[in-house]
Amino acid sequence: MENYTKYRLKSSEELSDALAGTDNIFVIACNKCFKEFTGEEEPECGEFEAFAEAQGKDVTGAVRVDFLCNKVQTLRKLRDAVPAGTESVFVISCGLGIQTVADMLPLPVFAASDSIPCRGHHGMALTPKACDACAQCYLNVTGGICPVVDCSKSLLNGQCGGAKDGKCEADPSRDCAWEQIQRRLEKLGRLEEFRDQPVQLRDYSKVDHKRITEYVNAIREKRLDGFYGGVHPAEHKEMSEHADLVRFPEPDVVVIPLSMHTGKPAEPLVKAGDRVRVGQKIGEQAGFISAPVHASVSGTVLAVEPRRHPVLGSGVLSVVIQNDKLGTLDESVRPHGDIEELSRSEIVEIVKDKGIVGMGGASFPAYVKLQPGKPIDAVLLNGCECEPMLTADHKVLLHCADDVIYGLRLIMKAVGAPRGVIVVEDNKPDAIALLREKTAAYENIEVMAVRTKYPQGAEKMLIKRVLGRSVPSGGLPADAGAVVSNVSSSKAIADAVRTGMPLIERVVCVTGERVRTPGNYIVKVGTSFREILDFCGGVVGDDVTVKMGGPMMGVPQTELDVPVIKAANGIIALEADHTEAQACIKCGRCADVCPMELSPLYFAKYVETGSLQGLKEQNIMDCMECRCCEYICSSKIPLVTKIREGKAAVRGMK
Amino acid sequence: MLITKLKSKEDIQSLLPEKVFVLQCRGCGEISFPEQEADELTRELLAADRVTGVLTTDYICSPENLSLRLERRRAMIDEADGVLVLSCGVGVQTVSALLDGKSVYAGCDTVRLPGFQGVTPLEVDCGQCGECYLNLTGGICPITACSKSLVNGQCGGARNGRCEVDPDMECGWERICRRLEAVGRLDALKCPTQIRNFAIDANTSH
Amino acid sequence: MKITELFARGEFVVSAEVGPPKGIHIDGLIEGAKEHLSGITAVNVTDNQSSVMRLGSLATCKALLDAGLTPIYQLTCRDRNRIALQSDLLSAAMFGIENILCLTGDHTRLGDHPGAKPVFDLDSVSLLHTVCQLESGVDLGGNPLVGEPPKFAKGAVVSPCSDSVDAQLAKMERKVLAGCEFFQTQAVFEPEKFIAFMERARQFGKPVQLGVIIPKGAAMCRYMNNNVAGVHVPDEMLNELAADKERAKAGITGVEIAARVIRECRPYCQGVHIMALGWESKVPALLEQAGIGAV
Repeated sequence: MENYTKYRLKSSEELSDALAGTDNIFVIACNKCFKEFTGEEEPECGEFEAFAEAQGKDVTGAVRVDFLCNKVQTLRKLRDAVPAGTESVFVISCGLGIQTVADMLPLPVFAASDSIPCRGHHGMALTPKACDACAQCYLNVTGGICPVVDCSKSLLNGQCGGAKDGKCEADPSRDCAWEQIQRRLEKLGRLEEFRDQPVQLRDYSKVDHKRITEYVNAIREKRLDGFYGGVHPAEHKEMSEHADLVRFPEPDVVVIPLSMHTGKPAEPLVKAGDRVRVGQKIGEQAGFISAPVHASVSGTVLAVEPRRHPVLGSGVLSVVIQNDKLGTLDESVRPHGDIEELSRSEIVEIVKDKGIVGMGGASFPAYVKLQPGKPIDAVLLNGCECEPMLTADHKVLLHCADDVIYGLRLIMKAVGAPRGVIVVEDNKPDAIALLREKTAAYENIEVMAVRTKYPQGAEKMLIKRVLGRSVPSGGLPADAGAVVSNVSSSKAIADAVRTGMPLIERVVCVTGERVRTPGNYIVKVGTSFREILDFCGGVVGDDVTVKMGGPMMGVPQTELDVPVIKAANGIIALEADHTEAQACIKCGRCADVCPMELSPLYFAKYVETGSLQGLKEQNIMDCMECRCCEYICSSKIPLVTKIREGKAAVRGMK
Repeated sequence: MLITKLKSKEDIQSLLPEKVFVLQCRGCGEISFPEQEADELTRELLAADRVTGVLTTDYICSPENLSLRLERRRAMIDEADGVLVLSCGVGVQTVSALLDGKSVYAGCDTVRLPGFQGVTPLEVDCGQCGECYLNLTGGICPITACSKSLVNGQCGGARNGRCEVDPDMECGWERICRRLEAVGRLDALKCPTQIRNFAIDANTSH
Repeated sequence: MKITELFARGEFVVSAEVGPPKGIHIDGLIEGAKEHLSGITAVNVTDNQSSVMRLGSLATCKALLDAGLTPIYQLTCRDRNRIALQSDLLSAAMFGIENILCLTGDHTRLGDHPGAKPVFDLDSVSLLHTVCQLESGVDLGGNPLVGEPPKFAKGAVVSPCSDSVDAQLAKMERKVLAGCEFFQTQAVFEPEKFIAFMERARQFGKPVQLGVIIPKGAAMCRYMNNNVAGVHVPDEMLNELAADKERAKAGITGVEIAARVIRECRPYCQGVHIMALGWESKVPALLEQAGIGAV
């Protein structure tokens, strides 16, 4: 692994000069990046402090910071770090960190280090290959060896006369690039091509500084838009967004797990041989954080036995029902009256009784959210569907806009919120227009279109984006005066009140480049993944990964005989990617994208070294497992898996 | 920090052999990559029946994982007369080193972005000159903030505080003077004449 | 006089090289050249050779021209960008300098100003291309020149005994395609390598002047072997030089060796280029021993 260590301490003479005339100094050092991540601190900081003290200077304090050039995080870390009485600040960092600090502190800032120069710019992986970003790639001329970086003179038209024993005249430790190029071209049989191409000239005007500046500004704005960090994976919604929403054919058998929610599994109310009807409660809520379960079809209970679950794995107690396909409704399924007639507690009771849970993925029992116990000034309805590929919520918005709005009004009434906001990402303009039209009559409901960014739909991000408030560490949305609900849940609440139908079916988006015919289906809870994928023409090829959910937070499936559960917003089939985790190179991208402003690289490190203290100090429990860090990780480290291990260890410590 | 743009279609067409394997690197996950243009080009090549396979992936500069991915597509690569790589220059070089003996074609030009570490594009930049001048300039880099990389003060070209080379850009030395004044260090402008040492990387280059 | 005209007439062209001083007094150089080199075809003037700062090549060429000699103006790409190079080419033409030799130039790190910024905006190939462009009446930026464009005899160098001879041949061909009309070679001490090289270079159809250094002693040769790219003095020659130090010091052995190299290579080349390195006075004797009459 190359070590792209970025700086070294200036010479003693230079440091003495810089220290002259200032007495009380504060020292900031960057922990360096693009190097093997050992977790050990760089020694330069201590060396400089000792030097300054030997010069009779008073060091008022010192900090060591990761990724000093990360402006947002550095600002937070330095907020109260510099003590009063400090005359000047010395920074040990590459030029980026020094400038970042100089830009944010009102004190004179001095550079105690020089950036180490190197030819060209490396990629993410720490290999010796570099690119000078000349804006006119010559690699086609040279068989893939860069003449700009690898030749000391950056010659473009062939070897100079200076090479000796195949080594460069300016630096005999380097191979002559043109000799390598010659050999490569010969091997490739491309010598004639090389000979016949026109004379190559550099065009230094090719680098368009204006475009670069605009791009930098745009990406900075995006990075900080609404909330810190986040990522923009390729959306690929086009695969399924034009497919109509259709009802999936009645399955022959459904397998309904008694655990489709956060909290305790429901207690079974039926046994093998029992007849059940659509909407009949077959599992009873088993505690405060729990939810009941209902039959999604009518027919005969074949068994109540452990079955495989798409999230929890094998051995989850489930009710298996043979569908008689008569669709006989249970008598409990009847309208509960109009919103105006229902009290707050009645709404909560209905939501509880009908087994409604958060349908965006977390599956938190919805009735609990509806009793926040704190003043709520806004209900945020999450229609972002920020997961790439998925179009389930989009379809719900388009086909059930009235229900969604009705559900929102029910939630607002239940929590006493004066304001409701339906938040939709700007990649769904049709839904935005429709909702605006439908909500025009409601003064207290607005539709907010937000720029597409993952994980916008996460509660904390949504609150930050819409209300500009932060949910405190370890807190709930209610602590920020908000209740957040998914649009599909909102629709389910409307159904529960208006028709009395419990949560027994949902919209599932079946998509991904390996699904033959992507589509959007209304599917009965308990329908098997295999049946659904077969209906969609099956998967293409054999090297396929199937996930429940989207590509970011979706749960990979090793077997397809698992049922659709309440939170199954998607079944996706993707080309499997074969990678192996490499060592962390401390590139800082995980810290750059973490919307919770954490440093995920430390989670992986501390899980490895078993440092529970370190995990706690890095606030591992604040991680919401959005997988941005894992998505961006250039070393392909399974960060979320590591984080889950770490969280379990920290929980065990308590 | 590198961003890429597609070479002109004519350029690419004139390079390519009959059958190609197309390798697209989606930048570093977040860094600018001409996705649509690249997809369009790939579609056109597919339509012309010139493609033996397509791999769209990330971080192709990482030889370990790239080799795993390429190995699984060995047959498609063998079938092709060449490999078209749509990535920054580092990626192309990694591929050509891994596929030694196969013609590899670069479909993109690469442009550098400020913030050389690859963390994220930054407003500030470092030219890695190896002789940091930030002490003399109040923490604003004259190498990157001045179009001419002047180290001894402003040239005569600034107009209304704007750079003569790029009027959209503020004159770096105006900013430096303002900063020095703000932190009470105008005396830094009386430092000895600075002469750059371009040989400084002689013993430290990678 | 353009030396290409002589090549065209089938003449064996002899040139020698002078290095300008690090200072402004040039009388010695001119007098020496007049005395020892007036019998040969042309005199190369190096351009801050080895990246060591000296009096300019252009000014020295002008002084030689005024003294009645035919200068070959060497231009390297190390110190000037395309604007300065083109400007100096126009200046040369204005002075009546007709022969140029286009080189990339040694890296700045090798010379006496290692901290200097190496330019290499152009290289030898693109410089040749640029000269052709100027000759067509248009500069590299595509702008027309005013009046009659310049016309030069355009030369370049090649290193036949280099250890990367394939790359050298590839580059030589690129130079030909870019408009090069004649070549001077790096110093040759191994005629068999030169001959083998010429067998392959003949296809380009351009005249090649054999590069010759008069070896001043075994120590100098060992230094070149260790430090100068593309130059290798074989052990026999080293032994020959070491055998009689006085003879070597007087230049007798060196002239013998150089003359032998010329005689062996003569059937394969169209001229010689002598890098006398201060021993300009030995050039007439060398030519005589090599059997090349004064032109």
